[in-house]
Amino acid sequence: MKKSHVININVNGKDYTVTVESRLLLVDLLRRVLGLTGTHVGCDTTQCGACTIIMDGMTVKSCTILAVQADGRKILTIEGIGSENKLHPLQQAFHEKLALQCGYCTPGMIMNAYALLLNNPNPTKEEIRRAISGNLCRCTGYWPIIEAIEYASKLLSKNLEK
Amino acid sequence: MQVEQIQKDKISLIGKTVLKKEDKEVLLGRATYAADINFPDMLYVGILRSPYAHAKIIKIDLTKALKMPGVVFGINGQDLLKLDFVKPLPPFPFQSIDPFKRRNPSIKFFNHYCLATDKVRFVGEPIAAIAATSPEIAEDALEEIETEFELLQPVTDVQTALSPNAPLLYEEWGDNIALRFHVLGGNIEESFKEADLIIEEEIRMSRCTGTPLETRSVVAKYDADKKNLIVWDTTQIPHIIALLIKKALKIPELKVRVIQPRIGGGFGQKWGLYPEEVLIPLISILTGKPVKWTESRTEHMHAISHARDQIHKIRVGVKKDGKILGIEDKILADIGAAYYQGGHASIVTTAFFVPGAYKIQNYKAEVLGIVTNKAPFGAHRGFGKSEAAFVIERLIDIIAYRLSIDPNEVRFKNFIKPEEFPYISVTGNRYDSGNYKTALELAMEIGKYWWWRKRQAELRSQGKYIGIGTALVIEPSSSTRMGSYNAGYYSVHIRIDPDVTVNVFLSGGEEGQGHKTSTAQIIAEELQIPFEKVNVFEGDSLLCPIGSGSYSSRFSVVGTSAIIMACRALKEKILGIASKALQQPKDDLELIYGKVISKRDGSSITLEEIAQIAYYEIYRLPENFEPGLEILYHYRDPNIDFYPDEFGRVKMFSSVPYDAEMTVVEVNPETGFIKILEFVSVHDCGKMLNPLIVERQHLGALAHGFGIALSEEIIYDTNGQLLSNNFLNYLIPTSQEIPFVKIHHIETPNPFTPGGFKGAGETGTVGPPASIANAVEDALRPFGVKIRKVPLTPIYIRQLIKETMNKTV
Repeated sequence: MKKSHVININVNGKDYTVTVESRLLLVDLLRRVLGLTGTHVGCDTTQCGACTIIMDGMTVKSCTILAVQADGRKILTIEGIGSENKLHPLQQAFHEKLALQCGYCTPGMIMNAYALLLNNPNPTKEEIRRAISGNLCRCTGYWPIIEAIEYASKLLSKNLEK
Repeated sequence: MQVEQIQKDKISLIGKTVLKKEDKEVLLGRATYAADINFPDMLYVGILRSPYAHAKIIKIDLTKALKMPGVVFGINGQDLLKLDFVKPLPPFPFQSIDPFKRRNPSIKFFNHYCLATDKVRFVGEPIAAIAATSPEIAEDALEEIETEFELLQPVTDVQTALSPNAPLLYEEWGDNIALRFHVLGGNIEESFKEADLIIEEEIRMSRCTGTPLETRSVVAKYDADKKNLIVWDTTQIPHIIALLIKKALKIPELKVRVIQPRIGGGFGQKWGLYPEEVLIPLISILTGKPVKWTESRTEHMHAISHARDQIHKIRVGVKKDGKILGIEDKILADIGAAYYQGGHASIVTTAFFVPGAYKIQNYKAEVLGIVTNKAPFGAHRGFGKSEAAFVIERLIDIIAYRLSIDPNEVRFKNFIKPEEFPYISVTGNRYDSGNYKTALELAMEIGKYWWWRKRQAELRSQGKYIGIGTALVIEPSSSTRMGSYNAGYYSVHIRIDPDVTVNVFLSGGEEGQGHKTSTAQIIAEELQIPFEKVNVFEGDSLLCPIGSGSYSSRFSVVGTSAIIMACRALKEKILGIASKALQQPKDDLELIYGKVISKRDGSSITLEEIAQIAYYEIYRLPENFEPGLEILYHYRDPNIDFYPDEFGRVKMFSSVPYDAEMTVVEVNPETGFIKILEFVSVHDCGKMLNPLIVERQHLGALAHGFGIALSEEIIYDTNGQLLSNNFLNYLIPTSQEIPFVKIHHIETPNPFTPGGFKGAGETGTVGPPASIANAVEDALRPFGVKIRKVPLTPIYIRQLIKETMNKTV
């Protein structure tokens, strides 16, 4: 059995060619090999959603996919959606609505919301509530996050109008 | 005129919502949590944990594991004993017996090392460690460790633990009782003589834990030449961990610096000395390499501190009108193996606060802390008060039902009245302030209590089971304990630099509460320096003043007080320097937005110039003034009293925030499923420093409360195997389970703090088990169901309904 593989992967718009062990998880590739530690690990059973990223437009729990499965794919992580001078509307909304405390679930939560808003630009509170039910948060009680995502959807549609 | 104009510029941020300055890095994915810290050449540690609840270790052989490529180092408990500088884990938080020998519980201590040496006492106890070049290799190597155990009978419940022939966890103790404590006030027997009714009940709370979303992680880096050890640790108590590491690793001249990086939630679970916090530094010392260990969720559930798990056998004497005369309580707590004593302290706390918000002056409580073969007991948001609140608030509803009166009437009748504060409770603590009746009335008004009562009757005739529950819970905070590291003061170091940026070094740390923002709000207002120019540092044992960390909601009580008082002392100095420079009397001067201005003639001097004088033109300082603009301030909590009063009581909790709640539930008797239709919380934590931060923390705390009320339960089987070992079977609430909550605040200032603040952030955890359980029992009244424990899982509800149905048949 081949133990290591060369994979090509695009993360946040940047191409990487890396040699990885067969069993390396995508989240470990991001965090340990590429140094993108914004994506977090909160469990080892695919329950908490802290490691949520976007792969080819779809949300993926990156702790439950092998790095080799991401060969040839486009990955978007929390580091790829905003910058210091221009926060993404989701980041801005989480800040303004105080939708984070410890912040550990926040990157996964934001990436999940990012994908939600791609598919449904104007979700209702109930739709948001359902969409984030796979992402655990232990600090907020969720409603501030729901409020922030709803607010971000409004900020985004305003941006589109401009 | 000029002064009035300038008054408008006055920075006023205390009590205002200010967005958190520390969150940008998190939002961009750049915050550094402990697991994000990496060094070249770093080793990764895997920990082998006991698969058995109770066993003698016969063999732990690492030979095969050490031969694997990539494995650099391995160690077991017997190897530890060969290193004479390695000592047993020092106790925490109690470090000695009570010097006054009056109030502290009797505690049995035990010498545990950072790896089990001869015996294991819970599934998940660390028994060996491997360091390798990757975490995957370390994990592989753990599988190659050969072990042999002699199994012993596990003790998995308190009844078994107390039985005469019970297997002993610690043979030398002679029994399984780690802690005994009793507290007594008034005369319980006399009070019961006057009672119209004496009610006896057994009320329980199940085992649960806080599950911060970030598991624990420790990174250690040792420089052998300098004997410098730096530890990045997911802890709430960096200074204490630094001290305890030095006690556990007696290397002459060892220098230890513990840094608390950004923390992904604490909730008490990161308050305590865990074996890994000594083991990982030890491996760095022995290998000479940077070393990292990150806990998996499954490891976390096995090895993190658990909480609650108490049985209360309680008797209460009441008059016909609902007046409570006295309470007697026997508390049995299942504290697991006796590794840390955080949990010991929590059961003592429960015994202090069973009387809750009520004027009950006849009280007796006996506490037994019983060891079992489970993970050790520790702190958890709501520390001991959650259990007390559940017991008293359940009891109030039981009393009301027995006397056929509305439960709120019983509450109103027994509440401590606003004019009775500061109130000395029967257990000796001084409650700072409160407005309990107003809060509960408001909750009932917002929740439309009487409307729901009518609606309940209507719906019941349609076969729908609606229940209404209320509760008023207290969460005494900012605790101090004699003989412990919780020392009753808070230190802060504030330095105004020559360019008038302010560097503040707090002696605590934080896990997401927003201390940097709150601190900057205070500094900006007190010193009239822009918010943006305030830098706040915390969670570093070297950089920051000695402190006992972040716990017991103490920042908003003693932390803010220290900052305010330090600022006021600095302001005095600033005005003194200005007075000389402007040749104006100090009383005529005012500090406003970066300037000191004379109210008499409008002349002014900037803070930059004052700083210039303080640092570089010291010949312009008033006589006897020291150079510099910095201060180290130690704030001693004025509402703590170490010396016992005439009844031998001490005052150990300095502020009492509280929450009045009203819950409406619908219970489906077919499925046992509970739906929350309405939840109202009227919260009082005194003055609010930053209302949005308070509100968000309160909602988060309520979310913990909902979990404890409805679904969270640590379950062991009779072999001591943990069944609730990950998020699949330890059910913390998701977005679907948290109901919409109507939160309202009232502000009854704390007279003991300069800002009027009380503790905030834990009270929400305390209430929901009580208010929801009250509502569920009310809903199921037609079935005669008695709710005497949480969580109210559908299985439990179904079981209760079935039992009562069987009885009626």
